[in-house]
Amino acid sequence: MASNDADGAGKRIFDCGDDLIAVELEDTRASQALADHLRNSGQWIECVAGIASCVAQFDNANVNLAEARQRLSSAIDDVPAVRTEESELVEVPVCYGGSYGPDLGDICEQLDLSRDEFINLHTSREYRVDMLGFTPGFAFIGGLDDALNVPRRPEPRVRVEAGSVGIAGGRTGIYTLSGPGGWPIVGRTPARLFDAAARDPFRLHAGMRVRFFAVSPDEFDAMVSG
Amino acid sequence: MTLRILKPGLQTTVQAGPRQGMRHLGVPASGAADPLSLALANRLVGNRLLAPALETTLTGVAMRFEEDTVVAITGARAKAWLNGGRVKLHRGITVSAGDELEIGGAKAGARNYLALAGGIVVDDVLGSVSTYLPAGIGGHEGRALRTDDLIATNPERNAPDITKTPKEYRPLASTSWALRACYGAEIELLEKDSRFDLFDTNFTVGNRADRMGLQFEGASFQVASAGRLTSAPVFPGTIQCPEDGRPFLLSVDAQTIGGYPRVAQVARVDRHLIGQLRPGDHVRLLWRDAESAREELRAKHDYWRPWLPDIADVI
Repeated sequence: MASNDADGAGKRIFDCGDDLIAVELEDTRASQALADHLRNSGQWIECVAGIASCVAQFDNANVNLAEARQRLSSAIDDVPAVRTEESELVEVPVCYGGSYGPDLGDICEQLDLSRDEFINLHTSREYRVDMLGFTPGFAFIGGLDDALNVPRRPEPRVRVEAGSVGIAGGRTGIYTLSGPGGWPIVGRTPARLFDAAARDPFRLHAGMRVRFFAVSPDEFDAMVSG
Repeated sequence: MTLRILKPGLQTTVQAGPRQGMRHLGVPASGAADPLSLALANRLVGNRLLAPALETTLTGVAMRFEEDTVVAITGARAKAWLNGGRVKLHRGITVSAGDELEIGGAKAGARNYLALAGGIVVDDVLGSVSTYLPAGIGGHEGRALRTDDLIATNPERNAPDITKTPKEYRPLASTSWALRACYGAEIELLEKDSRFDLFDTNFTVGNRADRMGLQFEGASFQVASAGRLTSAPVFPGTIQCPEDGRPFLLSVDAQTIGGYPRVAQVARVDRHLIGQLRPGDHVRLLWRDAESAREELRAKHDYWRPWLPDIADVI
């Protein structure tokens, strides 16, 4: 970065391109809250939260870097406190293993778990959507049990089916489109989480609560055709 | 219907302006990979600069018109024929029902733009009519064009004066490019020598080159992390360096979140050039700080404004 310093409540703000300015934050909730706050101001072209950072794009033909830094800095000072009220709970059906979750066997071996133990661990807690990103509606869902921490695949797959549920780096990820992907795949959901034609194309949004429940291949098929 | 596709070429799509303000939902920009050439084509047929037009990829396209209209071709260096007779790029071309137009393969540069008076009639999806192929949205049924596809243009068009792009406003397609770029968020993860080399290497564009991104060959860099980072926002123009050390330049269809170190960011002033890079082309990155990149952007806008008054909406 060309320059960086601490301002805006002691956060590190730095430019990472001629029209991109970033700030490091402590966690996903803080990143999301700041991105929402910036977006609501209408002063930025894009406001995107990462896992522990937020990047804002500005119109640098009209706004110089110093002004952008000033705007970001004051936004950090008056970002509303992270909402703590109960968010919507979405229950997501998953058909685990087999052709739906081609990496489940390897992961169970790696973690020394039986298939049922894995499914019990994965379905027994409530998660939170950290962010959408990568491709339209791809959900990064945080809160995975420490016992299920595995890395991404060394080589991405050329094609992962839409609906595939992967785990990596302490998160569950759901692919909404078929395409290349690097997360080990443990199952697939029949739920359609991205539908461009729908009034709200995105079933999941950052901050929502998520629970997974296991379905059989027959139930999966019935849910898809239903 | 205005025209029927006879030969669709490798990947011909309907493209207009980008999707904006939706990256936080995972929705990429898409839109013309070379928006300046899109604007130049639309200028010649009397459309607003980012009206939807056809974007070809390397191989060209052929079509037959079903009604009279005016068209214009810009972009990569390529030949074009109307009913077998040569026609030039960068001028308005009057076509009649039954005429056949062919754009040949790109000789330098990667993409041609064909604009039609009135613009192509397509639906807005998530804030733009541009085609985003990975999700199958926008443009013509969310996909690349096929033989016998019918393309409709807006009948309420102004009959444009037949004109041509002034010589000083015709970008030259090259096989050798310089892209002004700023340091990226994780430049410090490159070893010091690599940081210097990033801006002192003649890269070659690899065979992995499409609307999502382009592989740079010719040098490998030492990245001081395991190569993977906490997932962070990326944008068109971001250059990431994974653990294999080979930089990858993101283009208009790029994903919104990436997990590899962001070592550089192509400056807005030159981002429109990315869409003309093709495998085998040579690329150098020229380092700029944010303020000089901004001055050069404003100078470029000033240069283009007499011919394209809304240039700041385009690049």
